[in-house]
Amino acid sequence: MTALLLRADDILRRRDWTTGSGRAGSALGWLLAAILAFGMFYGAVMGLFGGVLGERLWQVIFSAAKVPVLLLASFLLGLPSFFVFNTLFGLRRDFGQAVRALMATQAGLAIVLASLAPLTALWYASSADYGAALRFNGMMFAVASLAGQWLLRQYYRPLIRRNRRHRWMLWTWLGIYVFIAIQMAWIFRPFVGDPGAPVQFLREESWGNAYEVVGRLIWDALR
Amino acid sequence: MTNWIRDLDRILRGEATRLAALRDETIDIRARGLAVVIFVLAVIYGLCMGCYAVFQPDGPVWLQLLASGVKVPALFFLTLVVTFPSLYVFNALVGSRLNLLALFRLLVAALAVNLAVLASLGPIVAFFSLSTTSYPFMVLLNVLVCGVSGVLGLAFLLQTLHRMTVAPRPSPPLSPAPATERPGDTAEAEVHVQVIEEPGALEPLEGYVLGKQVKAVFNCWVVIFGLVGAQMAWILRPFIGAPGTPFEWFRERQSSFFESVFRTLLGLFA
Repeated sequence: MTALLLRADDILRRRDWTTGSGRAGSALGWLLAAILAFGMFYGAVMGLFGGVLGERLWQVIFSAAKVPVLLLASFLLGLPSFFVFNTLFGLRRDFGQAVRALMATQAGLAIVLASLAPLTALWYASSADYGAALRFNGMMFAVASLAGQWLLRQYYRPLIRRNRRHRWMLWTWLGIYVFIAIQMAWIFRPFVGDPGAPVQFLREESWGNAYEVVGRLIWDALR
Repeated sequence: MTNWIRDLDRILRGEATRLAALRDETIDIRARGLAVVIFVLAVIYGLCMGCYAVFQPDGPVWLQLLASGVKVPALFFLTLVVTFPSLYVFNALVGSRLNLLALFRLLVAALAVNLAVLASLGPIVAFFSLSTTSYPFMVLLNVLVCGVSGVLGLAFLLQTLHRMTVAPRPSPPLSPAPATERPGDTAEAEVHVQVIEEPGALEPLEGYVLGKQVKAVFNCWVVIFGLVGAQMAWILRPFIGAPGTPFEWFRERQSSFFESVFRTLLGLFA
């Protein structure tokens, strides 16, 4: 546990082992462990809204499983196209370092989320409003995403210094990742769990489209 | 097969289209082998596209998955077959140096780039096919993905065409320098090759501007290939399979591709 916390500190401080050359397997292993451990921790806290008694405990377990899956699945789905784009734009040589920078950012995002978990727990203790809990969690994810983006830019700085096209690749990655992650989060609902509704891993009506719903809301507002 | 994939990798990395590699006024690739790789990539994307019909609430339509897997490669190969004669004629009319074989290899290489990008975006399309029920969204997502891969394929075509025009010829030049070349001689171009260690496949050549001839050939090709490709896709539809409608290999002849995209866009939020 202490080793993992020390590694988490390294990730936030961008120590050499995270993206530097050598021992890539070990570095990726630690980054993966950080994503799983810290993502699960925030997910578990997120699912505490309805309590832990009886079947509500399942919501805690489900949410703990879903947060790291959300982060990792979005990352893996975007990777093939990111590889081809990097190759096409002459950046293949740096691809290994770029992937480790992305993995380190994912790990950093999970660590930031975990650090915000006590705030979420405090919010749950002070308000029983489900809608407010959803908004608060949305805010926590937004904060963690901003911190993650900042971390990614720091990790990418040496790459951009080497070749300015990495800046474009960075924005391309963010576009692909956000596009997938929003839909992934939509189908993995519920994360918080409405106390008035039965506990479910996925909602029955979850096979929808996040962008269509947002588009309709905007369209209705404009009409 | 490994050599063919290596050829694709050389194209994507820009190794096959460096000035030094284009001295013989053609791209050094195995066009037939690359065509097989293109076919496989097209089938992969077709299957990703057809996933939508498999994960329908009314039950899976397996035939649509098969149809999409067949139609996507057919779309690209038929478009190439239909447009190749006119592309070559316009190429010759404008006075390009490309002969028939060089043009064929160039187009195959551009298709390879196009399909590689398309297949790499396939998992994202498959994920949305699995998770969304919205047909208009899937149509627009596929149009967007095909648009992105098409633009990158065209960017490759433009840059490679330009490189082939300015690449130093095998024998010492006795004629004046090409119009697209910056003031200087072939020796300068050779120095340029050594300075740029690893230019990407889409990277514009530093110090060179696109010549009028390159622009003219490229514009002709874009118009011909784009229009024929879009209409070919329209003829071969359905690729995704609208929910609630029975499976059919081809739909009745009606309307056009561009009109349909506009209607779909309106229908998304209606």
